[in-house]
Amino acid sequence: MSSASTRSAYTSFSPGRIWTMATHTVTQLIRMRILVFMGIISMVIVIAAFAFPAVSPEQQLKLLKDWTFGALQVFFVIIAIAATGLLIPRDLEDRTLYTTLSKPVPRYEYLIGKLLGVMLLLGSGLLLMDLVFSLMLYVKQSLIISSQIAALEKEQAATPENIAFIKDLNSRFGLTYSLHGAVWAIFLKASVVAAVSLLISCFASSTLFTILVGIAFVIAGQGQALLREWFLDKMSGFWQKFLSGAIAVFCPDLTLFDIAEPAIRGEIIPLGVLTEVTGIALLYIVGYTSVAYLFFVEKEL
Amino acid sequence: MKNKILGVLLLVAMGVAKVPLEDRVAATLKAADLRDAPIPLSLQEAMGQMAFTAALGGLRSLVASITYLRAYVAFEDRDWGRVDSLMTLTTRMQPREAMYWDEAAWHMAYNAATSTQQREDLRAAIRNKDFRDYVLRGLKIVQEGLVYNPNNPKLLVREAEIYRDRLKDPRPAAEAFLLAAKNGAKPFYERMGAYELVKLGEPPDLQQAYEILKRHYDKGFRYPSVLRDLDILERKLNIPVGQRVGQPLPPSPQPRRK
Repeated sequence: MSSASTRSAYTSFSPGRIWTMATHTVTQLIRMRILVFMGIISMVIVIAAFAFPAVSPEQQLKLLKDWTFGALQVFFVIIAIAATGLLIPRDLEDRTLYTTLSKPVPRYEYLIGKLLGVMLLLGSGLLLMDLVFSLMLYVKQSLIISSQIAALEKEQAATPENIAFIKDLNSRFGLTYSLHGAVWAIFLKASVVAAVSLLISCFASSTLFTILVGIAFVIAGQGQALLREWFLDKMSGFWQKFLSGAIAVFCPDLTLFDIAEPAIRGEIIPLGVLTEVTGIALLYIVGYTSVAYLFFVEKEL
Repeated sequence: MKNKILGVLLLVAMGVAKVPLEDRVAATLKAADLRDAPIPLSLQEAMGQMAFTAALGGLRSLVASITYLRAYVAFEDRDWGRVDSLMTLTTRMQPREAMYWDEAAWHMAYNAATSTQQREDLRAAIRNKDFRDYVLRGLKIVQEGLVYNPNNPKLLVREAEIYRDRLKDPRPAAEAFLLAAKNGAKPFYERMGAYELVKLGEPPDLQQAYEILKRHYDKGFRYPSVLRDLDILERKLNIPVGQRVGQPLPPSPQPRRK
């Protein structure tokens, strides 16, 4: 192939190149033993499913959901911060970054590829965990229903009215579509955190700095509602207002993704709400990645 | 340097633009009843620094389940003061979770109250006072729960049971049972409400009880308690003999002497 035809085949934006970068990132992260985290979460789910036999049936289902969603949220946010924070320094250390950027790969493609890789890993991991969780919840729910019906039969109270009530109650506290919606919200939250970490790692001098600042962003993002209510509305000091305002401007409001609690409670999460939450997540991801690019384009390698 | 300045400007511009959008999403979540109020700062001391931070970090549900399990351990140790304070923390963290309010009220009005009645080291007057205090505490909990979860059938049933079993007050018990049945509790609780109305004995109450029990009878619920109360009501309301369906309970067999 002549150099002229190669030049004409080159495009400034190539989804293929981004995909290659993303899949390479997934392999890179799997080699960092990220899968161990998922093994731990699976264990938490299995233990939570059978660890609380003394409490009431609805509480047993609730505790299984509480512990699973707690574990998913903590582990996937940590994975998002740590994995993204490690990527650029690791590429610099391995010198992969130089070989990649010496080819005709624009820096924004490199960044998008890296972020997409992290998101792919988070998404597939959460999908897997959702499957394990759904299976355990379904098994637990079926066991509870059959044991309750057996108890009713023993008391000669297994009327169709009582059986229908038990089934209805347990299915409300059991596996619902809204729980998958809550898992999706955790994916969005982790992706936003990954985008913020990518931005930080573009100007940070060390991985530790990226991870610590990433955690600080998560804490500030979770406390946004409280900050706005307390400092912006009630406190009058200029610096307090300025600081709270700055946090509100720079940090994403991560509480918008906290819909696991109502889903656990058995409430229905409408599709419209999920769409809006997805929209704001996309805004964050695109915004923070664009800023990250502007920092990364001038980074001396 | 130019790009970095541009980056900072973009970050600020995005920050300013995102605030109204965030408010809009927050309003949608609130309208769909999917967003709880932020945790009160006053809880920080009671919860401890770590738990408070975790609860702030979107792990309210998990922290509440931990305090709930701690309350369960305290219940097994019959440490009622600790049960009350831990369940209060749990309900404060998840006020929209009716199950927690229900269980907190049950612990106080039933477990703690009964436990204090069994204490032989206390004088009878103190035992009775403690019993009533615990029952009223349970009632207060369930009524507070109903403020956060209006017309929740589970909580209404618990309130009715406390009035019926612990305070022996049929009027509010009947009202709560009937409201619970109207809001999705098992139809069985409507009959419970009718049984309480029978105890009141006033003509309008008796008429209402008769209508409920007759309706259940016609649907096929012909349990001994339904037939017994229908018999009482038919006689008190002077229902024509031809239309009567109630039956008095057969006398229970006397225990035989050896």
